[in-house]
Amino acid sequence: MKTRIREYRAKYNLTQEKLAELVGVRRETILFLEQGKYNPSLKLAHNVAQVLHTTVDELFIFDD
Amino acid sequence: MEGPPVKMRKALLTAVIIALILMVSLISLREYYVAIALGVEVLLVFRRELWHLVRYRRFPPFDERVQENIKKAARNSFVYMSVATVFLTLAYALNIDYVVDYQPLQVISWLLISSGLVYLLGYIFYDRVEPKLRPPEVGRFWNFLRVAGIAFGSGITSIFLHNVIARLGVEEPVFFVIGVLLAPLAMGVGLVGGLVFFIKGLHRKQLPESDQTEDERTQL
Repeated sequence: MKTRIREYRAKYNLTQEKLAELVGVRRETILFLEQGKYNPSLKLAHNVAQVLHTTVDELFIFDD
Repeated sequence: MEGPPVKMRKALLTAVIIALILMVSLISLREYYVAIALGVEVLLVFRRELWHLVRYRRFPPFDERVQENIKKAARNSFVYMSVATVFLTLAYALNIDYVVDYQPLQVISWLLISSGLVYLLGYIFYDRVEPKLRPPEVGRFWNFLRVAGIAFGSGITSIFLHNVIARLGVEEPVFFVIGVLLAPLAMGVGLVGGLVFFIKGLHRKQLPESDQTEDERTQL
């Protein structure tokens, strides 16, 4: 799984720590999410997408 | 619905209270070393929460990734404890001198310490090691652990079978060689191999965002 969180975060000038605070998780969770090494719950994916003003589809890219 | 800080506080309080009750019980039973080990274990597991509490005057979020890691570590520890209990029960049932010589309390204490250690290592693995290992490396790590586990089981079984056959008055070398030489060797290889990947992942560098310059951050 690939994500575009880093890209969107840079667009809105958000640090990992700030994004983590906004969605109520640890900074490490955002780090692992960005690296595609953690599968988030639907709720977390939705919250991240909402904070970054985009959709879940746009943020997460699944390799079939 | 309860928010993450409330859940975190409840989980921490529950764990600390259980640990304190266990420590007091162990001290009253004069099992000081087990009590110390338990205290150190609690401090190690919750070191980050305690550090966050001291530094920011609040708990870090008890998020879903942490909850998942704790669940996986607890499952591993439970599986270990069940397997170890089966082997110990078997040893008592078969009246194996080496095990029966120990007091039941000592055996339970070591069972608690070792399963606690499995929990701790599991938590560190899922939290710190696994994310830094590539998928084939994670596969190899588990394969090494499987080798160690199978070697341990087959070693015990071979010794048991060798003893049973010996009591029938037949000298057999196959189970003896497996139990005394091959199984410990395979177990050693499995444990060392697993440890190598564990340490590799633990020490592998990963650039945290705090290490990046402001320019790097904005250039992303």
